[in-house]
Amino acid sequence: MNFEWQVISNNFFFLMGGLVTTFELALIAIAGGLTLGILVGMGRLSKFKFIYYPATLFVNLMRTQPLILVIFWFYFLVPLIIGRPIGGFTSAVIAFTIFEASYFAEIIRAGIQSISKGQMEAAYSSGFTYWQAMRYFIIPQALKNMMPSLITQAVVVFQDTSLAYVIGLREFLRSANIVDAREMRSVELYLFVGLVYFIVCFSMSRICKKLELKKGYA
Amino acid sequence: MIEIINVSKWFGELKVLDNVKETINKGQVVVICGPSGSGKSTLLKSLNGLEPFQEGDIRVDGISLNDPKTNFIKLRQKMGMVFQRFELYPHMKVIENITIAPTKVLNQSKSQAGKKAMELLERVGIPEQADKYPGNLSGGQQQRVAIARALAMEPDIMLFDEPTSALDPEMIKEVLDVMVDLAQSGMTMAVVTHEMGFAKEVADEIIFMDEGRIIERGTDKSFFENPESERLKEFLRKILI
Ligand SMILES: Nc1ncnc2c1ncn2[C@@H]1O[C@H](COP(=O)(O)OP(=O)(O)OP(=O)(O)O)[C@@H](O)[C@H]1O
Ligand SMILES: [Mg+2]
Repeated sequence: MNFEWQVISNNFFFLMGGLVTTFELALIAIAGGLTLGILVGMGRLSKFKFIYYPATLFVNLMRTQPLILVIFWFYFLVPLIIGRPIGGFTSAVIAFTIFEASYFAEIIRAGIQSISKGQMEAAYSSGFTYWQAMRYFIIPQALKNMMPSLITQAVVVFQDTSLAYVIGLREFLRSANIVDAREMRSVELYLFVGLVYFIVCFSMSRICKKLELKKGYA
Repeated sequence: MIEIINVSKWFGELKVLDNVKETINKGQVVVICGPSGSGKSTLLKSLNGLEPFQEGDIRVDGISLNDPKTNFIKLRQKMGMVFQRFELYPHMKVIENITIAPTKVLNQSKSQAGKKAMELLERVGIPEQADKYPGNLSGGQQQRVAIARALAMEPDIMLFDEPTSALDPEMIKEVLDVMVDLAQSGMTMAVVTHEMGFAKEVADEIIFMDEGRIIERGTDKSFFENPESERLKEFLRKILI
């Protein structure tokens, strides 16, 4: 068979527009999911039942649902609840943030639990509050331990965003899809898409390896 | 300064403190010893509210730990604690380990806290280690940093939980020397330790715990020369060989 790679260069800006959307979606989902995940992960360790139970319910609910279903939920449900349509991008951002938060939360929970109880006791006995102790001692150390898992999860989020094409969001995969419908060049287009995903994800996991090697304290 | 009034504590079914009574006066050094699991750490941690208890009361400078209005955060600022496994903050340099509480809790300026920290490092004999990370120090050096960290808050009381039992023999002395120095400077101290040399040198009172109870108490002379209970005799035989 003969390849016609011009399909890539002819539609380069269109495809890159999709890639930008993919990056935007992934970055917001990672930042939002991580922030929410830190709170939920701490909630999973709370001794207060009214914090622990909702956090645990949230994590278990999200982690038992297929992501594609969660994307549909937010796409169809949120407009019903707030009474007006919200674009595909916004609904995807909300769906990914909430879904990925449950995975980040479990990484954070394990990371915090990996820090010995004595660190908290040391902080308390110097007169720190719980929140100060978390902020200055527990979370910085936990984050360092968790970095490899967090990056792995970030790579997964980046890949997961391709699922947003089911609600018509013009992210990277969807853009290739649209070009393909017009130009009938599936092989070239999907090979290109695969290559770009490979480059991005492979570089992220290399960074992860490097961090793992440097894990000991200076 | 510290009054422990009939304190009992349970972990579930297990009674770990059984009607403990003790008074520690200002400037006194009280050594607590006893077999593993006898409740020494639990007692020490209940003094600064790290471990809650179910019965009795503890008063620090007249402030009751049972009083719901008691501010534990404030209370702990006046009570330094040193742990068996040091518990330095591994992601911070030695100097930051010492300055973080004074700057973040007491709002001292960085330069003021830094100057004080260097004085304390001089006092414990390791000013040259200020810019290293705790992981690069020996156990004895780490424990001396931990003592300096506690002293940086200018506490009225120091609590030590087996400060030398995680150390190699050749490092025990360097830590004990710092503690003896501290005791002689008039610090009020509660020290869980099996270092009987230390007890003889500076303890005003020694108490022996077993199964959550104080079985025997005395000055170093009575304690070592005329132990009354069989338990203590047996314990002393084991640790003095
Ligand atoms: N968090 C906990 N939950 C349940 N039981 C505990 C807990 N902490 C301690 N215990 C139990 O309470 C008892 C007293 O423990 P504690 O640590 O005070 O003893 P200790 O005298 O300090 O012993 P050691 O010399 O080994 O440090 C032990 O039986 C211990 O197993
Ligand atoms: Mg103990």
